Amino acid sequence: MAQLLEQFINGLVLGGIYALIAVGYTMVYGIIQLINFAHGEIFMFGAYLALMLITVFNIPFWVALPASMLLCAMLGMLIDLVAYRPLRDAPRLSALITAIGISLVLQNLARMIWSARPQQFPTETLPAFFVSEVNMQTGEILNAIPLPGGGILPYRDVFILALAVVLMIALNRLIHLTKIGKAMRACAQNRVASNLMGIKTNQVIAITFAIGSALGAVAGIMVGLSENITPTMGYYKGVAAFAAAVLGGIGNITGAMLGGIIIGLAEVLGAGYISGGYRLAIAYIIMIAVIVIRPSGLLGKSTATRA
Amino acid sequence: MRNWLTGLLIIGLVSIFGCEQQKELKVAVAAPYTGGAAAFGEMIRRGAELKQKEINEAGGINGMKLTLLFEDDAGKGSEASLVAERIASNPQIVAVVGHFNSSCSLAGQEIYDRAGIVELSPGSTAVNVCEGSPWTFRNLYRDDFQGKFIAQYIDNVLTDLESVAVFFDNDDYGRGLRNAFVAEAERIGLNLVASEAYERDSTNFKAQLTSIKAKNPDAIFISGLFQEAGLIVKQGREAGITAQFFGADGVDSPDFLTIAESAAEGVYLTTPFTFGAAGAEAKQMAANFEAFHGVAPDTWAALTYDAVGMIAEALEKTYNPEATIADNRTAIREHLASLDTPEEGYEGVTGLTYFDINGDTVDKPAYVKIVKDGQFVAAEKQLSELK
Amino acid sequence: MKDKLTPKNIIFALLICFLPLLMFAIDDLVALLSQSGIYLGWPGGEYMLRIIVRAGVYMMLAVGLNIVCGFTGLLDLGYVCFYLIGGYTAGILMARLGVSYWVALPLAVLHGTAWGLLRGAPTLRLTGDYFAIVTFGFAELFFRIVRNEQWLVGAPNGQLRGIPSPTLFGITFNQNWHNYYHILILLTLVVFITYRLQHSRVGRAWVAIREDEQAAESMGINVSRYKSLAFAVSAAIGGLSGAFIAQFQVNISAPFFEFWESILILCMVVLGGMGSIRGAMIGAAILGSLGEILRPGLIIPYQFGNPRYLIFGIILILLMRFRPSGLSLKKHNTNTA
Repeated sequence: MAQLLEQFINGLVLGGIYALIAVGYTMVYGIIQLINFAHGEIFMFGAYLALMLITVFNIPFWVALPASMLLCAMLGMLIDLVAYRPLRDAPRLSALITAIGISLVLQNLARMIWSARPQQFPTETLPAFFVSEVNMQTGEILNAIPLPGGGILPYRDVFILALAVVLMIALNRLIHLTKIGKAMRACAQNRVASNLMGIKTNQVIAITFAIGSALGAVAGIMVGLSENITPTMGYYKGVAAFAAAVLGGIGNITGAMLGGIIIGLAEVLGAGYISGGYRLAIAYIIMIAVIVIRPSGLLGKSTATRA
Repeated sequence: MRNWLTGLLIIGLVSIFGCEQQKELKVAVAAPYTGGAAAFGEMIRRGAELKQKEINEAGGINGMKLTLLFEDDAGKGSEASLVAERIASNPQIVAVVGHFNSSCSLAGQEIYDRAGIVELSPGSTAVNVCEGSPWTFRNLYRDDFQGKFIAQYIDNVLTDLESVAVFFDNDDYGRGLRNAFVAEAERIGLNLVASEAYERDSTNFKAQLTSIKAKNPDAIFISGLFQEAGLIVKQGREAGITAQFFGADGVDSPDFLTIAESAAEGVYLTTPFTFGAAGAEAKQMAANFEAFHGVAPDTWAALTYDAVGMIAEALEKTYNPEATIADNRTAIREHLASLDTPEEGYEGVTGLTYFDINGDTVDKPAYVKIVKDGQFVAAEKQLSELK
Repeated sequence: MKDKLTPKNIIFALLICFLPLLMFAIDDLVALLSQSGIYLGWPGGEYMLRIIVRAGVYMMLAVGLNIVCGFTGLLDLGYVCFYLIGGYTAGILMARLGVSYWVALPLAVLHGTAWGLLRGAPTLRLTGDYFAIVTFGFAELFFRIVRNEQWLVGAPNGQLRGIPSPTLFGITFNQNWHNYYHILILLTLVVFITYRLQHSRVGRAWVAIREDEQAAESMGINVSRYKSLAFAVSAAIGGLSGAFIAQFQVNISAPFFEFWESILILCMVVLGGMGSIRGAMIGAAILGSLGEILRPGLIIPYQFGNPRYLIFGIILILLMRFRPSGLSLKKHNTNTA
């Protein structure tokens, strides 16, 4: 039972990260019906840019986090501007292939700039409460909340979860309460009509890319806190997050959040209780099952017969 | 359309015909210089370069310069088979040092066998690498030996460790090693409480670590590579695991220390070679290496250094400038195959190397290292003989 | 494809028929020149042949993928799974059960076809995006099954060893030039069948589905049936390629069939121009050998990694931006049939 509780929390933390990435996929899909393969790479760039700001420019973590978000937002907008915008009226497949191309370019660019070696945020540059480690003699654990039954919950994980929740709520408010949010929803419903109504669709799309990329950057930094930063991290996490977006109903933001949590939980529980060798495959199995049983996803619109 | 293709063709031809070469002895060093295992490839390249420099400074091989061609297999079998054909069909290359990954050695094996060129691996430990071809050799032990060795080390040397768990990479290396470890643990009565898999390139191991922690083992054997092992140790300590961690030679990379940081402290690992337990010659080589490259050598650099040395020795004894390339390639194989007793063996920095009928290295010991103050050092107690 | 018996075409056909001979002739020439002290950077005929054979496999795969992507306009992101199924079906039958290649080959094709139908079935009533997602998931799943299920292959990581070369009349076909003619025959067969399908009622139905599914349905085309047929034919070609690669490589392992291969094949189809058999083949010939052409040309310090994939990415982006219909066709190819 204690183990289940701990696994559940592991899953929630991972799910929060997936949700942050999945939102980026789903927002872009909602507006321009494009599976933005490059989103996983923006997530990876978020981690690397923060790492570079911290280690090369000696910027404190709390400044590097928003700075990296800003840089990634700009990167997202730049990609949209140079690669996707010229293809707005081209066949959908062209944009999709471009997305794959961008993904390849970014991943290999990262390899060239930062090398393929796994890197991490140096412990001394992180806020002290992020670093939890067991005391080998006493078995005590620093910076963590003990759970009933011997499990532990590091403060860092609490922080990740809290940050994910806050950002999700903020995004939800943004979409539903602000003018730009309204414009986004309008574009998602019908881009051409929105344009005719005087909405600057290109601007709205750019902002969508910016928001999605900034959230992706946050997720990247959060992952970097406890895992390796590598040029391929975007691919692995990106795929699972994409599955989350599909599960929630692609194009649906609340669905992406829910999907992220479910995929995170399924992955952790599957790896913990079934087999670690199929860890990533669990996301795909769920994804395929969803499409067979309920193609529009958990919260998606019932018929999605867009060609 | 036509212009496009013509342009591409010209680029292709220029790059293929571009480099012209003069008479010298060429040996290919095939390893993963890019991709996930690039850190290993880097040390392999450096080890080979040091040996090359020493040989050429001492007047070359019978007066001929030794040239190394570094061929990248990216750690992937599909790339390795092309690289192998590229090497095999180059009539100037006399022998191959490589590949590193077992799957790459196997992918190239059939091609080297058909072309009749020696493949001397300084890194492939999968059990069956040398079977099936008289042209495949390696100068280090096999995984079944290594897995057995770790189980016996835990049982005989660290006697207060009663129960063990295995956490393994689900690829050929991790699983092969795990199978050998588990078989030996069962044979000698070590209490195996958990066996969990992870996927190569995973970065989050908390789920499996939580399961392992619930079984409360005294020791955890990580059967995988340093990238994942570093994170496993780190995330394990974060999750409150106090068990003793073990690794095998795949963990033996300085990058393990930078990934795991302070959590690496006290981790044991086996390796085909360690500078700490080696002789004066090895220490000299380590000093030269550091002077040449600015970093300390690791196991793979030393094994490659020896592998290049073995090929150079074979060339020195057998190379005949008048003979055909096929004869020269065969002569190298015959020379290596003749190193079949301790007396005949090649004495390198990693110890005495001689081969059995398959081309596997016989009786080369394993060493145990421990991480102390952020450095790999030889463990106090070594296990000299297997039971 | 309106080929005529022009002198140029005859020379081209002869070149294809006698390519291995040409390669070995160059080998001899180079050896002769090297005796007189002239060294050319010729990398060797066997190596060139192997690149060509591998490019041939990619050509076959690209033609197969083109059926789904180009003719019916559905995005297949996991084509590599049929390649894998074909490879392991043939490989396991031959290496572990001792079945002859000539029996294993059709079985591999049938097995691939079956999964092609199964995979496509849930998405028949859905749009292309869902098909893309399902195909992606399937490829990753099959990759992991081969990697994890040791009992299936007999070794970890799908490491299948010693797949025997096919034999006929006591001759073992294990040389590169054998494989060259082997793939040439298979490829000709595949191209012939695909070409005939493209220019039949079936091909016209596929294109009608691509252009407007609802209109096609209302014109009396059984969309589900024709889509399924496309999935089946495409998967069969994938299985065939897999069976070939298994005996060609002798030792195969799971990473031969990783996701990146699907993307690579897709890029080939796109580069040549979707919906064109000739385009798919040209795209495959270029991308299938580009990596090897760039290998000696670009020697980059190791810490930067290999720039080949970066160049692939840039090619894709530029192509989509400035020449979305690919290299091969002069006009936009939406109405080829």
